[in-house]
Amino acid sequence: MKIRTIKYLLKEGISNTYKNLLMSLASLAMVISSLLIFGVFLMITINLFYNYNRLESQFEIVVILETDATSFEASDIEQKIISDERVFSYKRVSKEEAFSEMKEMLEDSELITGLTPEFLYESFRIHLKDADQSEAFVEELSVMPGIKEMEFPRELLEKLGVFFRWMNVGSMFVLTLLLIISVSIISNTIKLTVYARRREIGIMKYIGANDWFIRWPFIIEGMVIGLVGAVISFILTSYGYNAIESYVNRELISGSLEVLRVKSLDNISARLLLLYVIIGTVMGAIGSIISVRKHLNV
Amino acid sequence: MIEFINVTKRYNNGVIGLNDASFRIEKGEFVFVVGPSGSGKSTLLKLILHEEVPTEGEVYVNGFNIGQMHRREIPYLRRGLGVVFQDFRLLPNKTVYENVSYAMQVVEAQPRDIRRQVPVALALVGLSKKAKAYPDQLSGGEQQRVALARALVNSPAVLLADEPTGNLDPHTSWEIMKLFDEINQRGTTVVVATHEKNIVDDMKKRVISLEYGQIIHDVQKGNYINED
Repeated sequence: MKIRTIKYLLKEGISNTYKNLLMSLASLAMVISSLLIFGVFLMITINLFYNYNRLESQFEIVVILETDATSFEASDIEQKIISDERVFSYKRVSKEEAFSEMKEMLEDSELITGLTPEFLYESFRIHLKDADQSEAFVEELSVMPGIKEMEFPRELLEKLGVFFRWMNVGSMFVLTLLLIISVSIISNTIKLTVYARRREIGIMKYIGANDWFIRWPFIIEGMVIGLVGAVISFILTSYGYNAIESYVNRELISGSLEVLRVKSLDNISARLLLLYVIIGTVMGAIGSIISVRKHLNV
Repeated sequence: MIEFINVTKRYNNGVIGLNDASFRIEKGEFVFVVGPSGSGKSTLLKLILHEEVPTEGEVYVNGFNIGQMHRREIPYLRRGLGVVFQDFRLLPNKTVYENVSYAMQVVEAQPRDIRRQVPVALALVGLSKKAKAYPDQLSGGEQQRVALARALVNSPAVLLADEPTGNLDPHTSWEIMKLFDEINQRGTTVVVATHEKNIVDDMKKRVISLEYGQIIHDVQKGNYINED
């Protein structure tokens, strides 16, 4: 196809969009409402994952050393932890620190009298990047000499892991389903606009236009509508979302519910806009291709 | 140029559009295809345009074998044929100029050629002054002339017309026919399907008469004779 033909077809597509303004607006409304429904579900999914990760990152593995562990053994273990790529952060808690923590907890009560740091254990508190790795991590570390015991919320992690996997599958399923439904709704709307112009398509065929020459302006029209719809629904979604976010987070914090948070959109909004734009234009293009196909057989 | 060899067209519902029709149209001829409605005129034109394919027999148009063509070749067949319909079939969203130039865009003509050819075609049909008008702002006769300009702008070897004057008053019809004749004088083969006796009788051209799908007369310089 020659460049001037591409230019011509682009121009055709764009000018057809506003020459058929009423139908374009109908399709636009469909794109916006589909993307809004999609967006609401996407936000819910994003927040589920976000809160799951927040929750997970709060888990720690506690490695308790023997009271008589040598400083040599302790630094060996520390070295092992430092060099492990799965570790996100760790803290070495000395006997003195453990003692002062305990003192604080027991509020200098009489229980503590006669107790010295020497009676306590030295320990490491470790946060992994991915809490699912805890089991394997603990197993590998357990061969090191000088470790008395290790603690981590095994059962809770397992349950969360299962929940997370189902959530993953479920949300992918629903999001895909929503996309398919959206494409079919949008292509049905475009089908109406194409139906109104089927005579036009027939005329083009009689003049000797090949299928792509007829199809491209419709595809471009669909993409323009998809693009505009994507931008509008992105703006609507982020305004609405930000309002909910600031309200809910304020309520949650004042209600001292530390566990749940609504994720801020700030650092993902560019990616989100891109996603909307891709979905919108692709849906528009596919919708047009599907709708025009039937009328090309003249 | 156009050849039908023992062509029969049976539609899926059993109706016979054309029954064992054979004829040849040479380059530069002017042919009327006449007959009452349902006699097979439209089927004949549809076969030439590859809107339909023959059930039996063979149809050749500009070297294309209509029964054996690939779908992708259809646009190329049609680019060699200028077509005019009873209902004009103009693109409603385009101006007169754009309607005519569209036919050139389709064949990916040079912009320079488009700028040169379109005014020539519009001048030929006498519509230079209406270039910026939209089809719904024109009279029937004017719309048909736009359709004619569009059919001619790529200098096709064959001009086909299906009841081109069916929606026009006698005076306008006559003007359109004179245009066809003029175009024919320039070397374009012209095939006109019509049932307008007066026009056919006055033009003194070759007449192929159809009845019930069969060719009953094929006469040079004929009249609309298959009417009792």
